[in-house]
Amino acid sequence: MKKLWTRRRVLRGMLQGGAVSVGLPILDCLLNTNGTAFAATGSGLPVRFATWFWALGLGEAEWRPKTAGADYELPVQLAPLKPFQKKMNLFSGGQVFLDGQSNNTHFTGVQGQMTGKVSSTEGYFGSFDTVIADVIDNGTRFHSIEATCSGDPKATWSARAGSGLQPAEVSPLALYTRIFGPEFRDPNAAVFTPDPQVMIRKSVLSVVEDERQSLMKKLGASDRAKLDNYFTALRALEQKLAIQLQKPEPLPACTKPLQPEADKQQTVMMCVDAMQRHDVMVGLLAHALACGQTRVVNMALTVGMSGLRREGDPTNHHTYTHEEPIDAALGYQVKCAWFTQRYMEALHNFAAILDGIHEGDQTLLDHMLVYCFTDHGAPRLHSVRNYPVITLGGAGGKMKTGLHIPKPGDAVTRVGLTAQQIMGVPVSSWGTKSNQVSSPIYEVMV
Amino acid sequence: MTSKRYCGIARPRQNWVTTIAQGATVLVTLSFCCLSPAMAETHGYVISWFATATYNLNPQESCPNNRNGGRTEEYTRELRAIGYSEQQASAIMATQGGVLDPKYQRRYYMRGRVNGKPVSIYNYPESVPDPNIQTVTGKYAYGFDLGGNPSSKFEDPDTHEKIDNQLWRAVGCSHSFDTVPPAQPYFEDLTWALMVDTAPGWSMQISGDDLSKDGKVTVTLDLLTQHLKRDAAGNVLAGATYVIDPRLRSHSVLEGQINNGILTITKPGNIYLEGEMPFYSEIALRDTHMRVSIKPSGTLAGYWGGYLDWSRFVYMYTARADINGEDVVGLYWALKKMADSDPDPNSGQNRYISATWRMEALPAYLANSDGKIVAVPVNVPDNVNAAAAAAANK
Amino acid sequence: MALAVTAVASAAAPSTAGPSSVRISPSQYRQSIADIFGRSIAITGRFEPETRTQGLLAIGAARVSVTDSGLERYDELARGIATQVVDAEHRATLVPCSPHSAQGSDDECARTFLTSVGRLLYRRPLTEEEVQDEVRAAGETANKAHDFYAGLSAVLADMLISPNFLYRYEFVEPDPAHAGQVRLDAYSKASALSFFLWNTTPDKILLDAAQSGQLQTTQGLRRQVDRLVSSPRVEQGVRAFFSDMLGFSDFETLSKDPSFFPRYTLPVKDQSQEQTLRTIVDELVTRHGDYRDLFTTPHTFLTTSLAALYRVPLADTTDNGQPDHWFPYSYPPGDLRAGILSEASFTALYSPSGRTSPTGRGKALRETILCEAVPPPPGNVDFKFIEDTSNPEFKTARQRLTAHRSQPMCAGCHKLTDPIGLALENFDSSGGYRTTENGVPIDATGELNGHQFVGSQGLAKAVHDDPATTSCVATKAFAFETGYLPAVSDPQWRQIMDKFAASHYNFLELMRQIALSDLTYRVPSSALSAANH
Repeated sequence: MKKLWTRRRVLRGMLQGGAVSVGLPILDCLLNTNGTAFAATGSGLPVRFATWFWALGLGEAEWRPKTAGADYELPVQLAPLKPFQKKMNLFSGGQVFLDGQSNNTHFTGVQGQMTGKVSSTEGYFGSFDTVIADVIDNGTRFHSIEATCSGDPKATWSARAGSGLQPAEVSPLALYTRIFGPEFRDPNAAVFTPDPQVMIRKSVLSVVEDERQSLMKKLGASDRAKLDNYFTALRALEQKLAIQLQKPEPLPACTKPLQPEADKQQTVMMCVDAMQRHDVMVGLLAHALACGQTRVVNMALTVGMSGLRREGDPTNHHTYTHEEPIDAALGYQVKCAWFTQRYMEALHNFAAILDGIHEGDQTLLDHMLVYCFTDHGAPRLHSVRNYPVITLGGAGGKMKTGLHIPKPGDAVTRVGLTAQQIMGVPVSSWGTKSNQVSSPIYEVMV
Repeated sequence: MTSKRYCGIARPRQNWVTTIAQGATVLVTLSFCCLSPAMAETHGYVISWFATATYNLNPQESCPNNRNGGRTEEYTRELRAIGYSEQQASAIMATQGGVLDPKYQRRYYMRGRVNGKPVSIYNYPESVPDPNIQTVTGKYAYGFDLGGNPSSKFEDPDTHEKIDNQLWRAVGCSHSFDTVPPAQPYFEDLTWALMVDTAPGWSMQISGDDLSKDGKVTVTLDLLTQHLKRDAAGNVLAGATYVIDPRLRSHSVLEGQINNGILTITKPGNIYLEGEMPFYSEIALRDTHMRVSIKPSGTLAGYWGGYLDWSRFVYMYTARADINGEDVVGLYWALKKMADSDPDPNSGQNRYISATWRMEALPAYLANSDGKIVAVPVNVPDNVNAAAAAAANK
Repeated sequence: MALAVTAVASAAAPSTAGPSSVRISPSQYRQSIADIFGRSIAITGRFEPETRTQGLLAIGAARVSVTDSGLERYDELARGIATQVVDAEHRATLVPCSPHSAQGSDDECARTFLTSVGRLLYRRPLTEEEVQDEVRAAGETANKAHDFYAGLSAVLADMLISPNFLYRYEFVEPDPAHAGQVRLDAYSKASALSFFLWNTTPDKILLDAAQSGQLQTTQGLRRQVDRLVSSPRVEQGVRAFFSDMLGFSDFETLSKDPSFFPRYTLPVKDQSQEQTLRTIVDELVTRHGDYRDLFTTPHTFLTTSLAALYRVPLADTTDNGQPDHWFPYSYPPGDLRAGILSEASFTALYSPSGRTSPTGRGKALRETILCEAVPPPPGNVDFKFIEDTSNPEFKTARQRLTAHRSQPMCAGCHKLTDPIGLALENFDSSGGYRTTENGVPIDATGELNGHQFVGSQGLAKAVHDDPATTSCVATKAFAFETGYLPAVSDPQWRQIMDKFAASHYNFLELMRQIALSDLTYRVPSSALSAANH
């Protein structure tokens, strides 16, 4: 209680101080010549993280490149990513071990990849992107931002350990407003004026804080855990407000994107429409990263059972994975491959947007690790073996790129462990039972 | 509880209107018991598309060299009419972004003179000379043989019969009529959408002993009490139930026949359908002929032709007093010159002009104002199967 | 005041122990705000999505926490509401006093307002400490902002994101009748009753009954339950329960391809839910009918848009305006449509956007109506066994699924679902009527638990007669109240079921029995150890 009052007094002081206007020049020379550090402070440009989910894999097994290492021949399924082959890695052959649990299709495999656990009785908690966010967040306005393209806010694989799945933004306009609406403070604005309304809001939040202890005393363990999560969210809200009251560090790479048009529909059924929405949304997410609003973004094209369709065809992608025969000559399902191509084109567009944002003489993509994953290895079988995992970006020089890393039969969680270690999470072992791994994939680590 | 948008016509307060106004809910349990016993079958439709029947497949043949031009050329001519040189007019138009500044518009509006006083050329089209717009000289137009002047006949591109359609001759070279269905002429396109969404719709009934066979039928046209509904794709909703306006003014009955899926009229007569501005305030034809295909999906598409009062028709254009791809004063003069029926006993000027409308209709339930179903849809198009089959056949 | 324990402190008895904090649902949030501040307060913004657990959002609500972005959304909603409550238009009616000066603090007036509003928002009287904190914060803000109402608004917004408002807590107190045992305290009971029966925050009468201790007496509880059940507002509770049970939250992400289903318009999507809720309220509340008759009743309500989807005539002789009006409608005897399973709220909701899924409909019926679990598909099914690659385009769902079921590892589950769904194949993915699929006539024969039938009517009769139908709705109603499913072997549960049966499955009587039963408020003995900590 004492502490809270102290904080209130500080704020009161700020309020009495009134608006503080600080004029600052925006100079590219704030960056050193490599673009890797703020020249003035010497601190490295932050490495940022993204996950990107697409449904229903790449195909049966024929997508696996024939050679390992660099300069492998990119399979036709990944053809759209050709321009970024040197900035990406492809991991193949990894699997999720069921350890006797049933394969709850479109769920269990992702649960294994993202949380390291496979469990049919417990929910989906503690995906590794949130672990990374906890480490790299560093007081940004948003702990992370989730978005999806087909209109279902439950299409998300990001979950805190306690509070479960974080709902995804489904509307480009709502996403824009959340990031770049009235509460956005342009880091490059010449003049900074803290908003007195925000000061008031922040100071009054302490009333809720004060209720915490009296409530906590009365609760049992499970309710206390829920309340703890509530207060984690409250602190995130306070942090968001606190950041609005601070003059942000200038970020030369930051520009405010254009406001997207209002949505014609919430739910999108046509693949082409969803991909269009994707491009708008990843554009906004990329700008949010470049503008220092968050350091972690999570994009899921659709839920695992992708209901996307082609114009004039009543059968959706997911149904086709079950019903379409494998083309004997090509070795994959042709109609399904059409969808996969659209998804990979979308991934190309995400990479191109990130690579088009220059931070010094490198790009945002170079300062990122984008972890791209899917729900099933062989989609027709809905299997949890031979998962394709794609990473994009060099993680600020911490990750080698341009490689194909085959790990047939290995736990796919090893890629997740590698990503966490590269992103600076102090973790030496990750996952449970057969999905537990203790060594990363050294081939890609610098 | 009076309906909106009745164009100043007082709507009689029927008993059923009163009942509803009192807030009573009406129990409507319907079955097929209520069909008119006089006819074994009555199929109901609502008019889902309506426009001047255009024929523009060969513009160079219909209107060589397109002398009327488009909106820019029309504005330029108006500027010339108020005293600007060709060069000045072009220079002004170059700065206007397609629409002429109101300050010029006001001047050419008021360039008419009656007894020396300035008047609007739209209120007094004859206060200025006939601009002699280009009219159709080509061979083809849709229509029916109404027994008109053999020297002014067109050939119908479908039936290859010699037909009368002087209205098309008058309007067909105007830019705004240069459309091919499903596009409607510009002004009709703009206003039909409004009509569908806000004004009472029009219904059509086809009655006969056995509509699955060729034979005699009765065609009945009516005004509805309600505007049409839209479906999820933005088209008129098929298969809904609409209520027929009990007033007889917009009630027309014609005798006809169906032959090989084509409905024609055997005893041409008058039809009248109350419409709404800014579409047409009425669709009124004398000596009405029809040629309407009954499609396998259950929809109708075809032509209605006959004579209409050209001065009432052109009023819809002069009343708008604007240029949208037709020279309104020129249109007035052209219609007047082309009119081919019903001479005024004093002046000798023909008061009616041969004309053809193109229409489409969708199956619907029709009820009378007591809620009784008087016509049923023959077959609501089954889009699921049609689309699925189309996809499967790709 | 309550002891420092909650009912579900221990994991030792998870099957009987009810959770003790339940996040209020979006509809409860809306209804509470409307009841406390009036309907003119607009609630704009979105809510954090709900979580469905064991078939009910109400069970999920007892387990969910709040995410970062969820709290952001609550915060936006709260600020929007708080601003309106004190704005010039509303303050005269909603703020019961006027400040000395509108340009600064007035602790007395702030106290009056916050105490009365707080009691309704937190569903219990505020503690003196809470009141003091709030009045102080309101005063400070008012003085800084030179606006008394800005102070009220800021603190009200705060209360609206407080766990005390967003969560319904169940606290216990010593049970005077059974030494050493505990029971739910009166305010927790009042909230439980009110959200169950009216889907909203307790009204003043109910809070007074809690305050006076009446609610803890058998007679006092009965008086309040009877008052709530006999009020027209019980319709809100019935609607909320069935919206949850029938999975209507999924309508939010449902859409159909307009090129295939042009009659499935946005109004129709909303109206199809409303149709079913009106049918339910008519049968269960207005007619005091038998729950089982919901599946066979020919009586329903339609708009002309829904009628067009269903291809039945319905004349609206009222006027030329929007929106659509509702009319009572009865299907003629022998009509394919009768009962809520034939309505688009079921047939469209459980179909993908392009074509039907008899498996999906069958699974939905088993799970939502009969409370029977359908196992998930086994992992690593090789679908190549079930495909005739020489004829990849099966014309009908029956053909596709028959091929699928020829594979023994699939047959086990699909025989549970498909014969139900196939009986509904005359309803396309949008709930519209059809007789063919891809030009092939539809065969709507089906089977449920050994009963063979043809079409939706046969299915409706089979569901009507299945004993699982009534026990399912009862267990779900109980879980809707408590956040957990009852142990069906419990003698008190059997008592509730017996009374439900004796009332000819009168649903209001079921709600009443649940609201009166000790089982509903029972606190597991495991909570006692926590109470003694």
